[in-house]
Amino acid sequence: MSTAKLMMKQVTQTYGDGDGAMTVLNQLDLTVNEGEFVAVLGPSGSGKSTFLSAAGALLTPTSGEIFIDGEPLSHKDKSELTELRLRKIGFMFQSAQLLPYLKVEEQLLYVAKLAKLSTKEAKERSSYLLKRLEIWERRNHYPEKLSGGQKQRVAIARAWMNKPAILFADEPTASLDFSRGREVVRMIADEVTSEGKAAVMVTHDERMLEWCNRVYHLQDGVLVEQ
Amino acid sequence: MFLALREMRHSKARYSLIIVIMLLVSFLVLFVTGLARGLAYANISAVENMPANYYAVQKDADHAFRRSQLSAAELSAARSIAGEQNAASLAVQMSTITADQADAKADVTFFAVDMNGMLAPKVTQGTGITNETQGSVVADSKLEESGVTIGSTIKDQASGLTFKVAGFVDDNSYSHTPVVYINTLDWKAMRQGFGQSGKDAEAVPYNVIALKISSAQVSDITEKLGNVEVITQKQAIASIPGYSAEQNSLLMMIVFLFVIAAFVLAVFFYVITIQKTSQFGILKAMGTKMSYLAWSVVGQVLILSVASLAVSLLLTFGMNMGLPDSMPFQLEGQTILLTCMLFVGMSLLGSLISVARVARVDALEAIGRAGA
Repeated sequence: MSTAKLMMKQVTQTYGDGDGAMTVLNQLDLTVNEGEFVAVLGPSGSGKSTFLSAAGALLTPTSGEIFIDGEPLSHKDKSELTELRLRKIGFMFQSAQLLPYLKVEEQLLYVAKLAKLSTKEAKERSSYLLKRLEIWERRNHYPEKLSGGQKQRVAIARAWMNKPAILFADEPTASLDFSRGREVVRMIADEVTSEGKAAVMVTHDERMLEWCNRVYHLQDGVLVEQ
Repeated sequence: MFLALREMRHSKARYSLIIVIMLLVSFLVLFVTGLARGLAYANISAVENMPANYYAVQKDADHAFRRSQLSAAELSAARSIAGEQNAASLAVQMSTITADQADAKADVTFFAVDMNGMLAPKVTQGTGITNETQGSVVADSKLEESGVTIGSTIKDQASGLTFKVAGFVDDNSYSHTPVVYINTLDWKAMRQGFGQSGKDAEAVPYNVIALKISSAQVSDITEKLGNVEVITQKQAIASIPGYSAEQNSLLMMIVFLFVIAAFVLAVFFYVITIQKTSQFGILKAMGTKMSYLAWSVVGQVLILSVASLAVSLLLTFGMNMGLPDSMPFQLEGQTILLTCMLFVGMSLLGSLISVARVARVDALEAIGRAGA
Protein backbone atom coordinates (compact mmCIF):
# COMPACT_ATOMS: atom_id res chain seq x y z
CA MET A 1 0.00 0.00 0.00
CA SER A 2 1.28 3.43 -0.86
CA THR A 3 1.77 6.01 1.86
CA ALA A 4 -1.30 7.72 3.18
CA LYS A 5 -1.92 11.12 1.64
CA LEU A 6 -2.83 12.51 5.03
CA MET A 7 -2.14 11.00 8.40
CA MET A 8 -3.00 12.74 11.65
CA LYS A 9 -1.83 11.11 14.85
CA GLN A 10 -2.99 12.14 18.30
CA VAL A 11 -3.40 15.73 17.17
CA THR A 12 -4.41 18.04 20.01
CA GLN A 13 -5.01 21.75 19.78
CA THR A 14 -5.79 23.84 22.82
CA TYR A 15 -6.32 27.57 23.04
CA GLY A 16 -5.45 29.55 26.16
CA ASP A 17 -3.96 27.95 29.22
CA GLY A 18 -4.74 27.10 32.82
CA ASP A 19 -8.41 26.89 33.78
CA GLY A 20 -9.54 28.82 30.75
CA ALA A 21 -7.92 26.35 28.35
CA MET A 22 -10.17 25.15 25.60
CA THR A 23 -9.44 21.91 23.83
CA VAL A 24 -10.63 22.09 20.24
CA LEU A 25 -8.94 18.99 18.88
CA ASN A 26 -8.45 16.18 21.34
CA GLN A 27 -6.02 13.46 20.27
CA LEU A 28 -7.59 13.31 16.88
CA ASP A 29 -6.61 10.53 14.47
CA LEU A 30 -7.32 10.43 10.77
CA THR A 31 -5.84 8.65 7.77
CA VAL A 32 -6.82 9.47 4.22
CA ASN A 33 -5.49 7.25 1.46
CA GLU A 34 -5.12 7.68 -2.25
CA GLY A 35 -8.42 7.89 -4.10
CA GLU A 36 -10.39 8.70 -0.97
CA PHE A 37 -12.74 11.61 -0.55
CA VAL A 38 -13.47 12.26 3.10
CA ALA A 39 -16.09 14.61 4.48
CA VAL A 40 -15.92 16.17 7.93
CA LEU A 41 -19.21 17.42 9.28
CA GLY A 42 -19.90 19.55 12.25
CA PRO A 43 -21.93 22.52 13.36
CA SER A 44 -20.22 25.87 13.40
CA GLY A 45 -17.93 26.25 16.37
CA SER A 46 -17.15 22.56 16.49
CA GLY A 47 -13.55 23.14 15.46
CA LYS A 48 -13.82 22.41 11.76
CA SER A 49 -11.70 25.40 10.84
CA THR A 50 -9.05 24.45 13.38
CA PHE A 51 -9.07 20.89 12.09
CA LEU A 52 -8.61 22.07 8.51
CA SER A 53 -5.93 24.59 9.47
CA ALA A 54 -3.94 21.93 11.27
CA ALA A 55 -4.32 19.35 8.50
CA GLY A 56 -3.53 21.99 5.89
CA ALA A 57 -0.21 22.99 7.49
CA LEU A 58 -1.49 26.46 8.37
CA LEU A 59 -1.43 25.86 12.09
CA THR A 60 1.04 23.90 14.15
CA PRO A 61 -1.01 21.88 16.67
CA THR A 62 -0.23 21.92 20.37
CA SER A 63 0.76 18.27 20.18
CA GLY A 64 0.53 15.33 17.85
CA GLU A 65 2.03 14.63 14.47
CA ILE A 66 0.71 15.22 10.99
CA PHE A 67 2.07 13.65 7.81
CA ILE A 68 1.24 14.95 4.36
CA ASP A 69 2.15 12.46 1.65
CA GLY A 70 4.45 10.81 4.16
CA GLU A 71 6.22 14.03 5.17
CA PRO A 72 6.01 14.99 8.86
CA LEU A 73 5.01 18.61 9.46
CA SER A 74 6.65 19.10 12.83
CA HIS A 75 10.13 20.62 12.86
CA LYS A 76 9.38 22.51 9.67
CA ASP A 77 9.79 26.26 9.80
CA LYS A 78 7.38 28.75 8.31
CA SER A 79 8.93 28.94 4.88
CA GLU A 80 9.24 25.16 4.63
CA LEU A 81 5.54 24.87 5.46
CA THR A 82 4.75 27.46 2.80
CA GLU A 83 6.71 25.45 0.26
CA LEU A 84 4.93 22.28 1.34
CA ARG A 85 1.52 23.92 1.01
CA LEU A 86 2.44 25.06 -2.47
CA ARG A 87 3.50 21.65 -3.73
CA LYS A 88 1.53 19.10 -1.72
CA ILE A 89 -1.72 20.78 -0.79
CA GLY A 90 -4.52 22.24 -2.82
CA PHE A 91 -6.93 24.56 -1.05
CA MET A 92 -10.51 25.42 -1.82
CA PHE A 93 -11.93 28.19 0.27
CA GLN A 94 -15.38 29.35 1.10
CA SER A 95 -16.85 31.43 -1.73
CA ALA A 96 -13.95 30.46 -3.99
CA GLN A 97 -11.66 33.36 -3.01
CA LEU A 98 -10.26 33.89 -6.44
CA LEU A 99 -8.02 36.89 -6.86
CA PRO A 100 -10.24 39.61 -8.32
CA TYR A 101 -7.58 40.99 -10.60
CA LEU A 102 -6.56 37.78 -12.33
CA LYS A 103 -8.41 36.32 -15.29
CA VAL A 104 -9.54 32.71 -14.95
CA GLU A 105 -6.56 31.23 -16.74
CA GLU A 106 -4.13 33.47 -14.85
CA GLN A 107 -5.48 32.20 -11.54
CA LEU A 108 -4.08 28.83 -12.52
CA LEU A 109 -0.92 30.14 -14.15
CA TYR A 110 -0.10 32.06 -10.99
CA VAL A 111 0.12 28.97 -8.78
CA ALA A 112 2.07 27.22 -11.52
CA LYS A 113 4.47 30.15 -11.57
CA LEU A 114 4.93 29.93 -7.81
CA ALA A 115 5.77 26.25 -8.23
CA LYS A 116 8.20 27.25 -11.01
CA LEU A 117 6.49 25.19 -13.68
CA SER A 118 7.58 26.02 -17.21
CA THR A 119 5.18 28.26 -19.11
CA LYS A 120 4.41 25.57 -21.64
CA GLU A 121 3.70 22.97 -19.00
CA ALA A 122 1.55 25.44 -17.07
CA LYS A 123 -0.48 26.36 -20.14
CA GLU A 124 -1.09 22.72 -20.98
CA ARG A 125 -2.09 21.82 -17.48
CA SER A 126 -4.40 24.81 -17.09
CA SER A 127 -6.16 24.22 -20.40
CA TYR A 128 -6.55 20.55 -19.52
CA LEU A 129 -8.13 21.36 -16.16
CA LEU A 130 -10.29 24.20 -17.44
CA LYS A 131 -11.61 22.08 -20.28
CA ARG A 132 -12.37 19.19 -17.97
CA LEU A 133 -14.23 21.48 -15.60
CA GLU A 134 -16.06 23.05 -18.52
CA ILE A 135 -14.97 26.65 -18.00
CA TRP A 136 -12.45 26.85 -20.81
CA GLU A 137 -14.69 29.29 -22.67
CA ARG A 138 -14.48 31.64 -19.70
CA ARG A 139 -10.69 31.59 -19.39
CA ASN A 140 -10.30 35.26 -20.24
CA HIS A 141 -12.94 36.52 -17.85
CA TYR A 142 -12.36 38.16 -14.51
CA PRO A 143 -13.95 36.40 -11.50
CA GLU A 144 -16.48 39.21 -11.12
CA LYS A 145 -18.05 38.07 -14.42
CA LEU A 146 -18.49 34.48 -13.22
CA SER A 147 -21.35 32.85 -11.37
CA GLY A 148 -20.78 31.29 -7.96
CA GLY A 149 -20.65 27.80 -9.42
CA GLN A 150 -18.19 28.83 -12.10
CA LYS A 151 -15.98 30.48 -9.51
CA GLN A 152 -15.86 27.30 -7.45
CA ARG A 153 -14.98 25.32 -10.56
CA VAL A 154 -12.06 27.67 -11.16
CA ALA A 155 -11.13 27.17 -7.52
CA ILE A 156 -11.14 23.39 -8.03
CA ALA A 157 -8.92 23.77 -11.08
CA ARG A 158 -6.58 26.09 -9.17
CA ALA A 159 -6.39 23.66 -6.27
CA TRP A 160 -5.39 20.77 -8.56
CA MET A 161 -3.03 22.85 -10.70
CA ASN A 162 0.22 21.88 -9.00
CA LYS A 163 -0.79 18.20 -8.72
CA PRO A 164 -0.98 18.27 -4.95
CA ALA A 165 -1.14 15.09 -2.90
CA ILE A 166 -4.31 16.18 -1.18
CA LEU A 167 -7.03 18.77 -1.53
CA PHE A 168 -8.63 20.53 1.41
CA ALA A 169 -11.99 22.13 0.81
CA ASP A 170 -13.42 24.56 3.33
CA GLU A 171 -17.20 24.67 2.94
CA PRO A 172 -16.96 24.68 -0.86
CA THR A 173 -20.73 24.72 -1.23
CA ALA A 174 -21.53 27.40 1.32
CA SER A 175 -22.32 30.14 -1.15
CA LEU A 176 -24.04 27.94 -3.73
CA ASP A 177 -27.58 26.67 -4.13
CA PHE A 178 -28.26 23.00 -3.68
CA SER A 179 -27.90 21.76 -7.23
CA ARG A 180 -24.81 23.86 -7.97
CA GLY A 181 -23.31 22.76 -4.66
CA ARG A 182 -23.85 19.10 -5.54
CA GLU A 183 -22.27 19.71 -8.92
CA VAL A 184 -19.15 21.15 -7.32
CA VAL A 185 -18.80 18.29 -4.86
CA ARG A 186 -19.25 15.78 -7.68
CA MET A 187 -16.45 17.49 -9.58
CA ILE A 188 -14.13 17.29 -6.59
CA ALA A 189 -14.93 13.59 -6.32
CA ASP A 190 -14.28 13.10 -10.04
CA GLU A 191 -10.90 14.76 -9.78
CA VAL A 192 -9.94 12.65 -6.79
CA THR A 193 -10.67 9.51 -8.79
CA SER A 194 -9.09 10.62 -12.05
CA GLU A 195 -5.96 12.15 -10.54
CA GLY A 196 -5.50 9.38 -8.02
CA LYS A 197 -5.26 11.88 -5.17
CA ALA A 198 -7.20 12.46 -1.97
CA ALA A 199 -9.52 15.14 -0.68
CA VAL A 200 -10.91 16.27 2.64
CA MET A 201 -14.01 18.43 2.66
CA VAL A 202 -15.24 20.28 5.68
CA THR A 203 -18.93 21.14 5.52
CA HIS A 204 -22.04 21.57 7.58
CA ASP A 205 -24.34 20.55 4.76
CA GLU A 206 -25.37 16.91 5.12
CA ARG A 207 -26.91 16.79 1.68
CA MET A 208 -23.54 16.95 -0.04
CA LEU A 209 -22.18 13.60 1.03
CA GLU A 210 -23.29 11.39 -1.85
CA TRP A 211 -19.83 11.02 -3.41
CA CYS A 212 -17.79 10.83 -0.24
CA ASN A 213 -16.05 7.58 0.65
CA ARG A 214 -16.17 8.27 4.34
CA VAL A 215 -18.04 10.76 6.47
CA TYR A 216 -16.92 11.91 9.92
CA HIS A 217 -18.57 14.06 12.53
CA LEU A 218 -16.30 16.34 14.51
CA GLN A 219 -17.50 15.97 18.08
CA ASP A 220 -15.69 17.07 21.23
CA GLY A 221 -12.43 17.32 19.35
CA VAL A 222 -12.44 13.85 17.84
CA LEU A 223 -13.73 12.45 14.57
CA VAL A 224 -16.57 9.96 14.77
CA GLU A 225 -17.22 7.92 11.68
CA GLN A 226 -20.81 7.64 10.54
CA MET B 1 5.76 41.04 -10.50
CA PHE B 2 3.09 38.76 -11.97
CA LEU B 3 0.56 39.88 -9.39
CA ALA B 4 1.73 43.49 -9.18
CA LEU B 5 1.35 44.17 -12.89
CA ARG B 6 -1.95 42.36 -13.27
CA GLU B 7 -3.43 44.11 -10.28
CA MET B 8 -2.52 47.47 -11.76
CA ARG B 9 -3.99 46.38 -15.09
CA HIS B 10 -7.23 45.45 -13.38
CA SER B 11 -7.59 48.50 -11.13
CA LYS B 12 -6.50 51.11 -13.63
CA ALA B 13 -8.52 53.92 -12.10
CA ARG B 14 -7.18 53.37 -8.62
CA TYR B 15 -3.56 53.26 -9.66
CA SER B 16 -3.95 56.12 -12.12
CA LEU B 17 -5.17 58.26 -9.27
CA ILE B 18 -2.09 57.43 -7.24
CA ILE B 19 0.11 58.17 -10.25
CA VAL B 20 -1.56 61.55 -10.73
CA ILE B 21 -1.00 62.51 -7.10
CA MET B 22 2.58 61.29 -7.19
CA LEU B 23 3.06 63.09 -10.46
CA LEU B 24 1.90 66.38 -9.03
CA VAL B 25 4.05 66.04 -5.94
CA SER B 26 7.15 64.96 -7.84
CA PHE B 27 6.61 67.73 -10.38
CA LEU B 28 6.44 70.22 -7.56
CA VAL B 29 9.57 68.74 -6.01
CA LEU B 30 11.49 69.02 -9.26
CA PHE B 31 10.14 72.44 -10.04
CA VAL B 32 10.85 73.95 -6.65
CA THR B 33 14.29 72.35 -6.70
CA GLY B 34 14.94 73.90 -10.08
CA LEU B 35 13.73 77.26 -8.87
CA ALA B 36 15.85 77.06 -5.75
CA ARG B 37 18.90 76.19 -7.81
CA GLY B 38 18.06 78.89 -10.32
CA LEU B 39 17.53 81.47 -7.65
CA ALA B 40 20.77 80.47 -5.95
CA TYR B 41 22.60 80.75 -9.23
CA ALA B 42 21.05 84.10 -10.05
CA ASN B 43 22.04 85.25 -6.61
CA ILE B 44 25.64 84.22 -6.30
CA SER B 45 26.84 83.06 -9.70
CA ALA B 46 29.75 85.51 -9.59
CA VAL B 47 31.18 83.82 -6.52
CA GLU B 48 30.22 80.32 -7.60
CA ASN B 49 31.98 80.76 -10.93
CA MET B 50 35.20 82.01 -9.37
CA PRO B 51 38.05 79.57 -9.74
CA ALA B 52 38.89 79.99 -6.04
CA ASN B 53 38.06 77.30 -3.51
CA TYR B 54 38.91 79.26 -0.36
CA TYR B 55 38.66 82.87 0.71
CA ALA B 56 40.65 84.69 3.32
CA VAL B 57 38.50 87.14 5.25
CA GLN B 58 39.16 89.27 8.28
CA LYS B 59 38.70 87.33 11.48
CA ASP B 60 35.92 89.45 12.97
CA ALA B 61 34.07 89.89 9.66
CA ASP B 62 31.72 86.98 10.29
CA HIS B 63 32.53 85.47 6.86
CA ALA B 64 30.86 88.44 5.14
CA PHE B 65 32.93 89.82 2.27
CA ARG B 66 31.93 93.43 2.69
CA ARG B 67 32.68 93.54 6.38
CA SER B 68 36.20 92.31 5.85
CA GLN B 69 39.17 94.58 5.17
CA LEU B 70 42.58 93.32 4.23
CA SER B 71 45.72 95.12 3.22
CA ALA B 72 48.35 94.69 0.55
CA ALA B 73 50.69 93.23 3.16
CA GLU B 74 48.32 90.37 3.78
CA LEU B 75 47.93 89.74 0.07
CA SER B 76 51.64 89.38 -0.42
CA ALA B 77 51.87 87.13 2.63
CA ALA B 78 49.12 84.91 1.21
CA ARG B 79 50.84 84.88 -2.16
CA SER B 80 54.07 83.74 -0.59
CA ILE B 81 52.32 80.56 0.51
CA ALA B 82 49.75 79.95 -2.20
CA GLY B 83 51.80 81.16 -5.13
CA GLU B 84 51.50 84.31 -7.18
CA GLN B 85 48.64 83.12 -9.39
CA ASN B 86 46.67 81.33 -6.69
CA ALA B 87 45.86 84.30 -4.52
CA ALA B 88 43.98 87.29 -5.80
CA SER B 89 42.55 90.30 -4.09
CA LEU B 90 38.89 91.13 -4.37
CA ALA B 91 37.17 94.33 -3.37
CA VAL B 92 33.39 94.46 -3.25
CA GLN B 93 31.30 97.60 -3.37
CA MET B 94 27.56 97.69 -3.76
CA SER B 95 26.22 100.75 -5.44
CA THR B 96 23.66 102.20 -7.79
CA ILE B 97 24.47 103.28 -11.31
CA THR B 98 22.68 105.40 -13.85
CA ALA B 99 23.09 104.82 -17.54
CA ASP B 100 23.12 107.87 -19.71
CA GLN B 101 21.46 106.69 -22.85
CA ALA B 102 19.07 104.30 -21.21
CA ASP B 103 17.65 106.63 -18.64
CA ALA B 104 17.72 103.78 -16.19
CA LYS B 105 18.97 103.12 -12.70
CA ALA B 106 20.26 99.79 -11.57
CA ASP B 107 21.75 98.31 -8.43
CA VAL B 108 25.08 96.75 -9.15
CA THR B 109 28.03 95.34 -7.28
CA PHE B 110 31.49 96.56 -8.21
CA PHE B 111 34.16 93.88 -8.11
CA ALA B 112 37.63 95.34 -8.15
CA VAL B 113 40.07 92.67 -9.26
CA ASP B 114 43.54 92.29 -10.66
CA MET B 115 42.90 91.96 -14.39
CA ASN B 116 45.92 89.65 -14.72
CA GLY B 117 44.92 87.47 -11.79
CA MET B 118 42.67 84.47 -11.60
CA LEU B 119 39.57 86.55 -10.87
CA ALA B 120 39.80 88.46 -14.13
CA PRO B 121 36.39 88.34 -15.88
CA LYS B 122 35.99 86.11 -18.93
CA VAL B 123 34.52 88.52 -21.42
CA THR B 124 31.90 87.08 -23.76
CA GLN B 125 31.01 90.24 -25.66
CA GLY B 126 33.12 93.29 -26.44
CA THR B 127 36.63 93.63 -25.12
CA GLY B 128 38.21 93.17 -21.75
CA ILE B 129 40.11 95.73 -19.74
CA THR B 130 43.64 95.72 -18.44
CA ASN B 131 45.17 96.95 -15.23
CA GLU B 132 46.18 100.12 -17.00
CA THR B 133 42.93 101.21 -18.64
CA GLN B 134 41.12 103.86 -16.77
CA GLY B 135 37.39 104.50 -16.73
CA SER B 136 36.43 101.24 -18.43
CA VAL B 137 34.47 98.33 -16.96
CA VAL B 138 33.27 94.85 -17.83
CA ALA B 139 29.69 94.27 -16.73
CA ASP B 140 27.36 91.32 -16.30
CA SER B 141 25.15 90.86 -19.33
CA LYS B 142 22.07 91.23 -17.15
CA LEU B 143 22.69 94.97 -17.30
CA GLU B 144 21.67 94.75 -20.93
CA GLU B 145 18.11 94.37 -19.71
CA SER B 146 18.38 97.86 -18.23
CA GLY B 147 19.34 99.21 -21.63
CA VAL B 148 23.10 99.30 -21.12
CA THR B 149 25.06 98.35 -24.24
CA ILE B 150 28.73 98.11 -25.09
CA GLY B 151 30.04 101.62 -25.27
CA SER B 152 27.41 103.03 -22.91
CA THR B 153 28.51 105.27 -20.15
CA ILE B 154 27.42 104.39 -16.63
CA LYS B 155 27.74 106.64 -13.64
CA ASP B 156 28.35 105.44 -10.12
CA GLN B 157 25.97 107.47 -7.97
CA ALA B 158 27.98 107.16 -4.76
CA SER B 159 31.35 108.34 -6.09
CA GLY B 160 30.15 110.31 -9.09
CA LEU B 161 32.67 108.52 -11.35
CA THR B 162 31.65 107.59 -14.86
CA PHE B 163 32.73 104.44 -16.67
CA LYS B 164 32.50 103.18 -20.20
CA VAL B 165 31.22 99.60 -20.64
CA ALA B 166 33.89 97.82 -22.63
CA GLY B 167 32.49 94.31 -22.52
CA PHE B 168 30.01 91.91 -21.02
CA VAL B 169 30.41 88.70 -19.05
CA ASP B 170 27.75 86.05 -18.48
CA ASP B 171 26.42 84.66 -15.21
CA ASN B 172 28.04 87.08 -12.82
CA SER B 173 25.65 88.04 -10.06
CA TYR B 174 26.27 88.91 -6.50
CA SER B 175 23.36 89.21 -4.09
CA HIS B 176 20.99 89.30 -7.08
CA THR B 177 22.71 92.32 -8.57
CA PRO B 178 24.81 92.32 -11.75
CA VAL B 179 28.52 92.53 -11.13
CA VAL B 180 30.58 95.32 -12.69
CA TYR B 181 34.29 94.54 -12.88
CA ILE B 182 36.74 97.39 -12.49
CA ASN B 183 40.50 97.33 -12.21
CA THR B 184 42.49 98.38 -9.17
CA LEU B 185 43.29 101.77 -10.61
CA ASP B 186 39.62 102.71 -10.83
CA TRP B 187 39.06 101.14 -7.42
CA LYS B 188 41.53 103.56 -5.87
CA ALA B 189 39.82 106.42 -7.67
CA MET B 190 36.48 105.25 -6.34
CA ARG B 191 37.78 105.07 -2.77
CA GLN B 192 39.11 108.60 -3.08
CA GLY B 193 35.71 109.55 -4.43
CA PHE B 194 34.32 108.56 -1.07
CA GLY B 195 36.44 111.23 0.51
CA GLN B 196 39.31 109.16 1.73
CA SER B 197 42.77 110.45 1.28
CA GLY B 198 45.01 108.72 -1.20
CA LYS B 199 47.04 107.22 1.57
CA ASP B 200 44.09 105.61 3.26
CA ALA B 201 42.89 104.14 0.02
CA GLU B 202 46.30 102.65 -0.47
CA ALA B 203 46.19 101.15 3.00
CA VAL B 204 42.78 99.53 2.71
CA PRO B 205 42.58 98.28 -0.81
CA TYR B 206 40.78 94.95 -0.54
CA ASN B 207 37.94 93.12 1.16
CA VAL B 208 39.02 89.54 0.75
CA ILE B 209 41.65 87.39 -0.86
CA ALA B 210 40.46 84.61 -3.14
CA LEU B 211 42.64 81.54 -2.85
CA LYS B 212 43.15 78.43 -4.92
CA ILE B 213 44.95 76.24 -2.42
CA SER B 214 45.01 72.77 -0.96
CA SER B 215 43.42 72.14 2.41
CA ALA B 216 46.89 71.70 3.91
CA GLN B 217 47.78 75.28 3.03
CA VAL B 218 44.71 76.62 4.80
CA SER B 219 46.27 76.41 8.25
CA ASP B 220 49.58 77.82 6.98
CA ILE B 221 47.84 80.91 5.74
CA THR B 222 45.70 81.29 8.86
CA GLU B 223 48.82 81.07 10.96
CA LYS B 224 50.94 83.43 8.91
CA LEU B 225 48.35 86.12 8.38
CA GLY B 226 47.22 86.27 11.99
CA ASN B 227 43.96 88.18 11.83
CA VAL B 228 42.35 86.32 8.93
CA GLU B 229 40.08 83.39 8.73
CA VAL B 230 40.15 81.13 5.69
CA ILE B 231 36.68 79.97 4.71
CA THR B 232 35.52 77.63 1.99
CA GLN B 233 33.64 78.77 -1.08
CA LYS B 234 30.47 77.22 0.37
CA GLN B 235 30.80 79.24 3.58
CA ALA B 236 31.47 82.34 1.58
CA ILE B 237 28.35 81.82 -0.50
CA ALA B 238 26.24 81.12 2.55
CA SER B 239 27.23 84.48 4.03
CA ILE B 240 26.24 86.49 1.00
CA PRO B 241 23.32 88.68 2.12
CA GLY B 242 19.96 86.99 1.55
CA TYR B 243 21.38 83.73 0.27
CA SER B 244 20.78 81.52 3.30
CA ALA B 245 17.35 82.94 4.05
CA GLU B 246 16.25 82.36 0.47
CA GLN B 247 17.66 78.88 0.16
CA ASN B 248 16.56 77.67 3.56
CA SER B 249 12.91 78.49 2.99
CA LEU B 250 12.97 76.76 -0.38
CA LEU B 251 14.82 73.82 1.11
CA MET B 252 12.16 73.53 3.77
CA MET B 253 9.50 73.37 1.06
CA ILE B 254 11.37 70.66 -0.76
CA VAL B 255 11.88 68.62 2.38
CA PHE B 256 8.18 68.88 3.17
CA LEU B 257 7.29 67.81 -0.34
CA PHE B 258 9.44 64.72 0.04
CA VAL B 259 7.78 63.89 3.32
CA ILE B 260 4.32 64.50 1.84
CA ALA B 261 5.12 62.29 -1.13
CA ALA B 262 6.22 59.49 1.16
CA PHE B 263 3.14 59.87 3.36
CA VAL B 264 0.62 60.06 0.53
CA LEU B 265 2.00 56.93 -0.98
CA ALA B 266 2.33 55.18 2.36
CA VAL B 267 -1.24 55.95 3.37
CA PHE B 268 -2.67 55.04 -0.02
CA PHE B 269 -0.88 51.74 -0.07
CA TYR B 270 -1.64 51.02 3.53
CA VAL B 271 -5.36 51.46 2.92
CA ILE B 272 -5.22 49.29 -0.18
CA THR B 273 -3.25 46.69 1.72
CA ILE B 274 -5.75 46.61 4.57
CA GLN B 275 -8.54 46.15 2.05
CA LYS B 276 -6.69 43.17 0.66
CA THR B 277 -5.91 41.50 3.98
CA SER B 278 -8.01 38.43 3.23
CA GLN B 279 -6.48 38.15 -0.23
CA PHE B 280 -3.03 38.08 1.29
CA GLY B 281 -4.23 35.38 3.69
CA ILE B 282 -5.42 33.30 0.74
CA LEU B 283 -2.20 33.86 -1.15
CA LYS B 284 -0.15 32.78 1.82
CA ALA B 285 -2.33 29.72 2.40
CA MET B 286 -1.84 28.73 -1.22
CA GLY B 287 1.88 28.76 -0.64
CA THR B 288 3.02 32.24 -1.73
CA LYS B 289 6.24 33.21 -0.03
CA MET B 290 6.35 36.42 1.99
CA SER B 291 9.31 37.63 -0.04
CA TYR B 292 7.21 37.32 -3.17
CA LEU B 293 4.39 39.38 -1.66
CA ALA B 294 6.80 41.99 -0.32
CA TRP B 295 8.41 42.32 -3.71
CA SER B 296 4.96 42.62 -5.21
CA VAL B 297 4.09 45.62 -3.01
CA VAL B 298 7.50 47.24 -3.39
CA GLY B 299 7.40 46.58 -7.12
CA GLN B 300 4.12 48.41 -7.45
CA VAL B 301 5.46 51.40 -5.54
CA LEU B 302 8.59 51.36 -7.66
CA ILE B 303 6.61 51.30 -10.90
CA LEU B 304 4.28 54.06 -9.73
CA SER B 305 7.01 56.37 -8.47
CA VAL B 306 9.28 55.88 -11.49
CA ALA B 307 6.39 56.34 -13.91
CA SER B 308 5.22 59.52 -12.23
CA LEU B 309 8.79 60.81 -12.05
CA ALA B 310 9.30 60.20 -15.75
CA VAL B 311 6.18 62.17 -16.64
CA SER B 312 6.98 64.97 -14.22
CA LEU B 313 10.51 65.26 -15.64
CA LEU B 314 8.97 65.80 -19.06
CA LEU B 315 6.57 68.31 -17.56
CA THR B 316 9.41 70.11 -15.83
CA PHE B 317 11.44 70.41 -19.01
CA GLY B 318 8.38 71.55 -20.91
CA MET B 319 7.62 74.12 -18.25
CA ASN B 320 11.23 75.28 -18.24
CA MET B 321 11.07 76.06 -21.95
CA GLY B 322 7.94 78.11 -21.40
CA LEU B 323 9.35 80.08 -18.49
CA PRO B 324 10.27 83.73 -19.00
CA ASP B 325 13.98 84.51 -18.68
CA SER B 326 13.39 86.68 -15.66
CA MET B 327 12.32 83.54 -13.74
CA PRO B 328 15.53 81.83 -12.83
CA PHE B 329 15.38 78.08 -13.24
CA GLN B 330 18.27 75.69 -13.25
CA LEU B 331 18.31 71.92 -13.00
CA GLU B 332 21.55 70.08 -13.65
CA GLY B 333 21.70 66.36 -14.35
CA GLN B 334 23.26 65.71 -10.98
CA THR B 335 20.51 67.52 -9.10
CA ILE B 336 17.84 65.69 -11.12
CA LEU B 337 19.44 62.34 -10.38
CA LEU B 338 19.72 63.09 -6.68
CA THR B 339 16.15 64.37 -6.48
CA CYS B 340 14.76 61.38 -8.34
CA MET B 341 16.69 58.93 -6.21
CA LEU B 342 15.51 60.64 -3.04
CA PHE B 343 11.93 60.61 -4.29
CA VAL B 344 11.98 56.91 -5.14
CA GLY B 345 13.77 56.22 -1.87
CA MET B 346 11.15 58.06 0.15
CA SER B 347 8.36 56.25 -1.71
CA LEU B 348 9.92 52.89 -0.96
CA LEU B 349 10.31 53.91 2.66
CA GLY B 350 6.59 54.66 2.73
CA SER B 351 5.77 51.29 1.21
CA LEU B 352 7.56 49.48 4.01
CA ILE B 353 4.59 50.12 6.31
CA SER B 354 2.44 48.14 3.91
CA VAL B 355 5.02 45.40 3.64
CA ALA B 356 5.07 45.14 7.43
CA ARG B 357 1.28 44.88 7.40
CA VAL B 358 1.38 42.12 4.80
CA ALA B 359 3.96 40.28 6.87
CA ARG B 360 1.57 40.28 9.82
CA VAL B 361 -1.28 38.70 7.83
CA ASP B 362 -1.68 35.10 8.92
CA ALA B 363 -2.43 32.43 6.35
CA LEU B 364 -4.93 31.10 8.91
CA GLU B 365 -7.23 33.98 8.02
CA ALA B 366 -8.03 32.19 4.78
CA ILE B 367 -9.89 29.39 6.56
CA GLY B 368 -13.42 29.73 7.84
CA ARG B 369 -13.98 33.05 6.12
CA ALA B 370 -17.08 33.76 4.13
CA GLY B 371 -17.15 36.55 1.60
CA ALA B 372 -14.31 37.75 -0.52
